[in-house]
Amino acid sequence: MEKRIEITEELKNISPTLASMEKVNVFQIPEDYFSDFDIKILTTIFLQDKKNNFQKVPEGYFNSLSDKIISKIKAENNETALEEIKALSPVLHYLKEEKVFDVPENYFENLSNEIVEKIKPSKSKVVAISSVKKWWKYAAAAVVAGVVAISSLQIFNHNSNPSAVANNEVMQLASQYKTPEQVDKGIASLSDDEIVKYLEKNGTILDEETISKNVDTTELPSADDYLINENALNNYLNEINVSNKNTQ
Amino acid sequence: MTENLNDEELLALYKDPATKEQGFTGIIKKYQEKLYWHIRRMVITHEDADDVLQNMFIKVWKALENFREESQLYTWLYRIATNESLTFLSQQKKRNSISLSDDENGLSNKLRSDTNFDANKLEWKLQLAIQSLPEKQRLVFNLRYYDEMPYEEMSHVLETSEGALKASYHHAAKKIENFILNN
Repeated sequence: MEKRIEITEELKNISPTLASMEKVNVFQIPEDYFSDFDIKILTTIFLQDKKNNFQKVPEGYFNSLSDKIISKIKAENNETALEEIKALSPVLHYLKEEKVFDVPENYFENLSNEIVEKIKPSKSKVVAISSVKKWWKYAAAAVVAGVVAISSLQIFNHNSNPSAVANNEVMQLASQYKTPEQVDKGIASLSDDEIVKYLEKNGTILDEETISKNVDTTELPSADDYLINENALNNYLNEINVSNKNTQ
Repeated sequence: MTENLNDEELLALYKDPATKEQGFTGIIKKYQEKLYWHIRRMVITHEDADDVLQNMFIKVWKALENFREESQLYTWLYRIATNESLTFLSQQKKRNSISLSDDENGLSNKLRSDTNFDANKLEWKLQLAIQSLPEKQRLVFNLRYYDEMPYEEMSHVLETSEGALKASYHHAAKKIENFILNN
């Protein structure tokens, strides 16, 4: 109280005008500003405190967050197929081990050998196509030699043959082919068509041993080539057609 | 002799000219059954599966020379087996003049021709249901259901995303379950 009087007296001395004016508060405040002011302050303090704590995130938390999430997803993906089908469909889970298809006995035991055999080129099984000419020529040689011999015998056994004139001609012809070299030369002069026609007429006298000895398989494509490449055999056949045309 | 060797060791045997055949035989013996069944489930009959499997291994004999080991041998073999099966089915369709929409009937008929076929048995209904799926979905289903192949590996075999494979499998399983329960 004394203090207040002292301050009033002081102002009177400084400015009688100011001292005489009524003290009026010109500033306005919201209604009920102070009614729950204490609650507002406490809430602010509380939130600030929480915000400070929230900022205390472990170091590197966000750097590793994406990796953690991806690991969790992968862990879900590593759910086994068995667990997955159990969850999806109990019926399908039950039927999983039921076998329906049969397999021939020893199939798997023999499979690798079968495959390896197909991969190896097989030289004994395949007949050469390029040696057709040689094959026919050797067969023709055997047949002609046989026929000439048989004809000669027939001619000698039939002295009073009405077709003696024809036989004489054959005899003369036969005399030209006494040695193997002469027979070879005679056959070489025959065309492929003549040989084929002759063999078609007399095909039963073929010497199989002679034929098989003279088979040449070295020029064929290997099994590798035509198994892997379907065109290999076609290309080869085209090639030999061209070379045959060139040599005729 | 090669039974307990891992893929790396088998490939090493194959790459050495002195042991090439041994390495190749080892690979056949290690994977023949898995690959056979994978193919058989697509082509149905034993004869067709045998043809496709043997043709596949004959191609593998040469192709292994260029195998770069960036992918797993197992995944690589499965990819070849898958492609060979699909090629075979495509050729069959052309040969038999079967339209794409009749494809399921063609394979279903092969199923019905099996000596053990019994339409009343659940396990045969399952097979009919699988054959009614589109080709790609059938592959996804077989690889996951029978071979229990992880989606990551399957994505390398079928060159499709893991998510798409998982969705396809779940869808297929539901379709098949409905087929079995309603037929």
